[in-house]
Amino acid sequence: MEQVTERKLSDIIERIAEEAGARAVAVSVYDYQSERAFSHHGDEWFHAASTIKVPVLIGVFAAVEASLLDINARVQVRNRFLSVADGSAYRVESSRDAGGSVHAQIGKTMRVRDLARQMIVTSSNLATNLLIDVIGIDELRAALDRLGSEGIELVRGVEDDAAFDQGINNRVSADGLVGALRLIEEGALSTSSSDEMLDILHAQEFRSGIPAGLPDDARVANKTGEISTMAHDAGLVYLPDREPYAVAILTAWPPSATYGRRATLAALSRAVYRHVVGADDDA
Amino acid sequence: MLEPPKLNLQIVTGEDLREELCERLRPGEEVEDAQEIPRRLPTHYFRVPSWKAALEIELAPHFGLWELIDVDVREAPSMRSFPRYIPCAITVLAAHLAILRIEVGRVIRIAANGGYRSPAHQLSKTASPHSWGTAANIYRIGDDLLDTRERVERYAQIARSILPGAYTRPWGQRPGYAFDHLHIDLGYVLVYPHGEKALESGRESAEEG
Repeated sequence: MEQVTERKLSDIIERIAEEAGARAVAVSVYDYQSERAFSHHGDEWFHAASTIKVPVLIGVFAAVEASLLDINARVQVRNRFLSVADGSAYRVESSRDAGGSVHAQIGKTMRVRDLARQMIVTSSNLATNLLIDVIGIDELRAALDRLGSEGIELVRGVEDDAAFDQGINNRVSADGLVGALRLIEEGALSTSSSDEMLDILHAQEFRSGIPAGLPDDARVANKTGEISTMAHDAGLVYLPDREPYAVAILTAWPPSATYGRRATLAALSRAVYRHVVGADDDA
Repeated sequence: MLEPPKLNLQIVTGEDLREELCERLRPGEEVEDAQEIPRRLPTHYFRVPSWKAALEIELAPHFGLWELIDVDVREAPSMRSFPRYIPCAITVLAAHLAILRIEVGRVIRIAANGGYRSPAHQLSKTASPHSWGTAANIYRIGDDLLDTRERVERYAQIARSILPGAYTRPWGQRPGYAFDHLHIDLGYVLVYPHGEKALESGRESAEEG
């Protein structure tokens, strides 16, 4: 990626964001083919929304490799968590949780492996909190630190409203998410762990962001994240006959802007794709 | 005369257990409960050879052994692997649950980690009847998930009315309360099966010969 085209991509990103009414946009890319990185506000912090589940996934597999728990260990499915803000108990609302199949297991047990899959594939908040609860937020953070992860602030489980009210939130930067994806792609843990994490990410059911901006023959291992004011997507993009690239697209919105967010993610993904493969026009 | 049902489970005492298991089960040891009252842990156990056996053994009508010993990763690894050793009082708990089931006329579901937990379980911070095999956390009765105050208190009232001596935790979020299940326990019951003598402590008795 040459400097002039990087400026051009930045211009395209800004234009797409402005036309869509986004409050802020950050894009980070690492292309394994050219071995070049691109970062547009890539070091700016955003509320992570569900993209935090990628670092949690890495932390889970790091805990498994450290023999802190077995990937097949059973975890009680219980919808009761303690806020990091004040220790008060809270629940994950099933109506707000896409992963309804985990809620159906309340009272029973699920394997760590299955919880990890539900956390990513259906973005289950309940599965996420169960994994954070059983491993511990400190251990997950320590694992990410050991792997040299930057641009990730994992401080709590999801739907911790008491913490949200006090401004205690999981945060990511686009560069941070690309770094996390690179840990997976490059096998920072074992090859088998990376293979399994990629297998999980490839099974992602939400495909309206990055994948929607790509040609049909692209394979994407991605994780979306969306709350009232944020819409994100981060993933590894595999195209035929070339090395993959990692991309993270983070967008912030006014609460009133409820339409066009996913289309914007797709448009930004399309712009990144054309830039990476060296297409002429600016989409 | 009707023959009592046979469990076909071997009864073992603290004397019979190898060192590693004794360290986890602590037979006959005193541990303090949340009120700092010393409680003596069980000394007599059923030896459960396999999960398959646990699935097949019925402790009481409608209550399989497996339902009362299901634990997760918070249980010590040696306590999760078979053979497992479950206090003999588990039969008393099952009988009480069977009575409750007759009263409510609906299926009663015990949560994972909600039946027997060893003293080495991460949730066994102080002595709890779960480590005596005399406590059950019920998360569902029929179609009712017990995750509201109204449901928990309604079934707690029923349980107390028909199970003399049973204790139900009050609804709430503080330690000692329950807000997403109904906790029923029978206290710190020790059961010494026929032909078995009471032991002060499994290890001490073994040494005393």
